[in-house]
Amino acid sequence: MSRINALVLTGYGLNCDLETAHAFELAGARAERVHINALIDGSVSLAQFQIMSFIGGFSWGDDHGAGVVQAVRMRTRIGDQLLRFVEQGKLVIGICNGFQCLVNLGLLPGLGGNYTRRSVALTYNDGGNFRNDWVHLAVDTESPCLFTRGLHRLELPVRHGEGKFVTDADTHRTLRDARQIVLRYAMPDGQPARGAFPHNPNGAMDDIAGICDPTGRIFGLMPHPEAYNHWTNHPQWTRTKEAAKRGQTPMPEDITPGVKIFRNAVDYLAA
Amino acid sequence: MASRIEITLKPDLLDAEGEALRRKAGDYFGIRLDGVRSVHIITVDAVLNRDQIERVRQEIFTNPVTQISSLNPLAVDADWIIWVGFRPGVRDNPGATAVEAMEDLLGIRMGPGEAVYTSRRYCLQGKDLIAADVQRIAAQLLANDIIQQWKIFSAAEWDPAEGVGLILPKVRLDHTPTLTVLPIDSDRALQQLSTERNLALNPNDIPVIRGYFLDPRVQADRERVGLCEPTDLELEYISQARSDHCNHNTFRGLFHFRDADAGKTETIDNLFKTCIQTPTRALQSRKPWVISVLWDNAGVGRFDEQHYYTITGETHNSPSNMEAYGGAITGIVGIYRDPLGTGLGSRLIMGSYGFCVGPRDYAGDLKPRLHPRRLLDGVIEGVRDGGNKSGIPTPFGQVLFDHGYMGKCLVYVTALGIMPTTVNGQPAEQKTILPGDAVIMCGGRVGKDGIHGVTASSETFSAHTPAGHVQIGDPYTQKKMHDFLLEARDQGLIRFITDNGGGGLSSSVGETALYSNGCEIELEKVPLKYAGLDQWEIWVSESQERMTVAVAPEHVERFLALSVRHGVESTVIGRYTDTGKLHITYDGKPCAYVDLDLLTAGFPQWVFEAEWRSPAARGLSEPVLGPPGDQNQLLLDMLARPNICSKEWICRQYDHEVQGTSVIKPLVGVGRDVNSDAAVLRPVLGSERGLAFSQALLPFYSRIDAYHMTACTIDEAVRRLIAVGGDPDHIGGVDNFCWPTIQYDSKNNPDGRFKAAQLVRSCQALRDVCLAYEIPLLSGKDSMYVDGHLPGRYDETHKVSALESLQFSATSVIADITRCVTLDPKMDGDRVYVIGETRNELGASEFYDLLGYVGCRVPQVWTERFMPRYRALAQAIAQGLVASAHGIYRGGLAVHLAMKAMAGELGMAVDLARIPAADDAGRDDVLLYAESAGRFIVTVNPLHAESFEALFQALPLACIGHTVAEPRLTVQGLSGKNVIDLSVADLKEAWRKPFGDLI
Repeated sequence: MSRINALVLTGYGLNCDLETAHAFELAGARAERVHINALIDGSVSLAQFQIMSFIGGFSWGDDHGAGVVQAVRMRTRIGDQLLRFVEQGKLVIGICNGFQCLVNLGLLPGLGGNYTRRSVALTYNDGGNFRNDWVHLAVDTESPCLFTRGLHRLELPVRHGEGKFVTDADTHRTLRDARQIVLRYAMPDGQPARGAFPHNPNGAMDDIAGICDPTGRIFGLMPHPEAYNHWTNHPQWTRTKEAAKRGQTPMPEDITPGVKIFRNAVDYLAA
Repeated sequence: MASRIEITLKPDLLDAEGEALRRKAGDYFGIRLDGVRSVHIITVDAVLNRDQIERVRQEIFTNPVTQISSLNPLAVDADWIIWVGFRPGVRDNPGATAVEAMEDLLGIRMGPGEAVYTSRRYCLQGKDLIAADVQRIAAQLLANDIIQQWKIFSAAEWDPAEGVGLILPKVRLDHTPTLTVLPIDSDRALQQLSTERNLALNPNDIPVIRGYFLDPRVQADRERVGLCEPTDLELEYISQARSDHCNHNTFRGLFHFRDADAGKTETIDNLFKTCIQTPTRALQSRKPWVISVLWDNAGVGRFDEQHYYTITGETHNSPSNMEAYGGAITGIVGIYRDPLGTGLGSRLIMGSYGFCVGPRDYAGDLKPRLHPRRLLDGVIEGVRDGGNKSGIPTPFGQVLFDHGYMGKCLVYVTALGIMPTTVNGQPAEQKTILPGDAVIMCGGRVGKDGIHGVTASSETFSAHTPAGHVQIGDPYTQKKMHDFLLEARDQGLIRFITDNGGGGLSSSVGETALYSNGCEIELEKVPLKYAGLDQWEIWVSESQERMTVAVAPEHVERFLALSVRHGVESTVIGRYTDTGKLHITYDGKPCAYVDLDLLTAGFPQWVFEAEWRSPAARGLSEPVLGPPGDQNQLLLDMLARPNICSKEWICRQYDHEVQGTSVIKPLVGVGRDVNSDAAVLRPVLGSERGLAFSQALLPFYSRIDAYHMTACTIDEAVRRLIAVGGDPDHIGGVDNFCWPTIQYDSKNNPDGRFKAAQLVRSCQALRDVCLAYEIPLLSGKDSMYVDGHLPGRYDETHKVSALESLQFSATSVIADITRCVTLDPKMDGDRVYVIGETRNELGASEFYDLLGYVGCRVPQVWTERFMPRYRALAQAIAQGLVASAHGIYRGGLAVHLAMKAMAGELGMAVDLARIPAADDAGRDDVLLYAESAGRFIVTVNPLHAESFEALFQALPLACIGHTVAEPRLTVQGLSGKNVIDLSVADLKEAWRKPFGDLI
């Protein structure tokens, strides 16, 4: 089996490249950090990759809406290539700023196979401020999303000022019925957060933290799975360790739930 | 030709920005607003046709899901409207990215003079709003007149067709760049010039400067290149290089130190050399992990076989005091350039902050330029945007309130980086320059920013004069440059790299030219933000986000091509030579021709008078206090003190997990809400080796003695590292001094001699403790003149001086991060131990401060007694015997028992009679609130108790109780009765209450 090649987009204020590449490597892929301009000038081709990741950061400072300017540049310069990548059945993941970029490109939610229409948005948190905290997430296990296979509930960090998912009632209904709402902010017991701060950290409609396209091959989420690449990233890891030392709980697995998301993508392609 | 786009959120969406303003107006001023909507305005000053402007409106500036927009003013209901925009020349980051986006979408290049300006208008609704309220909101919440302008419209005044009008804050200088030759006929003439032109030349330097330019050899040399008397550029260069900021004249000064009690006088020559350099060099020779110190932009220590870490810290006080957001963001983004410019360049891995401001609820008569509350809001946001947008985690920070910071606030910023030990086979920490190398300026462009710092603020503004002396950092431009330079480094394209900070090119080129011994600069090649700068202004401008790089001629082409790939501007502005001269031309005409060794030749040392009087001689004594009866209420009140209470709202605004390296976060425990002792990172993702980082700041003790202030501060930083699992054999330090003016003046600084003595004693403590704990000072900076003159009730002014303050940062390397511990007790039934004895040391404590006393018995550090217990604890943690560990810091034992209980959400039952204590500490309140150094609280699984205790033979250790399942803190007093009995919920409520509503 040849290795799966994952592209990690960099440049213009993006900043989660090293840990995203690391997470892909832990998941068994070969990750390459590629500057946006290298795709535009053609020195690197999308053809050699099976997964493309739009990573977290502040592209163009997020000055005109998070992910907006990056989406404009990519649509203008390499929009056709991106659509071809998707048509070929390859995988795309957008995390935080990358998720914001995907919805501005229209690659998400991709309703009716239209991958250029902007129909959902990620806007300013209700709290009015950037927030870094860990959240509980409930996975829609019936979702076609292939990145979350085998995951039921998980915890991940959020780090954003513009993560409030917004759309109109019709689009929301369509997304829900097509099981495209992959991740929802939840209470510690897994029940829906129902908008309660800080469990739902931004006021997102229907506690939406991540969505996929109808095929499940394009996935966008506000939380950062790549920042949970080692069990000591978890905020309670010293407690888990002490409980494990006393035989009360097992030691955490080597593959964190964060890396599992990347592993699912690699496994899907390798199958 | 200008056009304007107005954008606002759809009416059914919550306007979080407007809502935040509504809340603040109510909370801060009691002004009731019914609603606020914000409108973003993009003003495009460029030749675009209707289709083009329509296209950018739709595709860039309007989100079809959430926003509406128009080329005409939007109809938004309002009783009042406030418009806020930048003054000319102020960095407009969104305006700059708008230009990039528009050029990209339309496939055009905007011409010189074309630009995009962003501004906002706020539509206020409130039936009873009056003009004075609206004015107050504009001036005290929304805008700072140093960088911004605003307009207020009542509903009646608002013209719905005209809106705010077309406001273009364009810089128009209408000035031909002019080089001025300055006559130096006499010392007095030069002194007068220095005053007129804000050169800030030290009077003692003036004869040396004149002597140089009058030297016949020098005159002959200058004549050959077409110069005679000094030019303004040359004097500016000398002034910059000789400034206290660049040259550390205070720390290198001569101190006549008189101990008034002992009647003895001694002379101390050069505090830097005697207290910092010599001890650090001595330690470096014994500690192979110390790689590079005392010369580069940051210090370098070994992380592992393949990596070094870099660290430095500084302050950005004066600018933040004028414009809090701009000052703080410029500070944090600026410090990030130091590790980037260390060795051949290091990648940034974390930053930290320390904010010292006046009381947040200050309601007295003094009128600082910015109220402490507003100032704090601004610096928090500045460091937030600067750090977050740089993609660098901010996992540690401190905030401190004291009246002394009303005069000038302190904004400490610290940065750490990591680099490979070698680049292309060359040692990464070394660098030099060869004659012929290109001088390249990378990053931002040059404007009138930061020229002569804040002195310019007193000048009057016209509509088109640039207000650039207060800057706004641009993390976006710098992040691009950071990524570019690291790639250039790895391709072997960088020979030397340094940052452009204070002093601009004058400092960076002037200092780097020493490596090759000369340079030739063609100043007209420096890219400018706008035309019309004089040559000297280009040379000393402190425009941000710039690095100076030396590149070998054969690599210039590749370097510039890579720069284009990353969307970064880089320009060759000259070449390094070996002529011994700094030679600057503009369009071929000479501007400067100065011997580089002028600065090392014969400038007189600064001289200070210092007079020390002991606390007792100054009239300090212990208060006569009876024992408190209500210990429960006392503890709750202590927890709610501004310097103790929860400041979670600040930590949560800072991205502390980007880069995926977080091991110990700023907030830990069951509720993820109690401050950890130190931060731990895993900077090399594939490795389980860790880097621990801590800071301490205890200026209160300076009220009694800055020697002990310093010793306690260092001791606290060290204990913080040990508490998480740091290695006592690898502790690196960074000293950041912030001191009030120490030069005695009978009128303006009558206690200057005492402040100078405090500085001497502080430096001596730094030397003593660092030698004892074996802490090399990897880096350090000093910031003097922390004083302000504030108007009072009758418009009289009051000089307000800050407490003598030292922030100490400490690093350690952890072999295995999975051994780290946090402060939260993990299980009920564990033993609770206290390590270290408690003494009657309540002097300048939080407890005394609560009661309005200073006292006399300040905590002291006995390094030789403390270190063995630190080693024992480090060993216990490394062996996995410790379930939780926490130092006892400000507030004493009671406060820190509460921190542990809150973090673990577990009860603790302890007995004061068992605490290791000195004979004079035999009182409940002393045991609970003394701030004696050298102490920890630790919880241990009873199964490990024996092994744990065995490590502490002959050391002060006692089991004082145990953890209990019911979340309740009970403390049995010396009488045998419970003196404290409080639920964890009650503790948490009190501790969270002061700032708990802030998000």
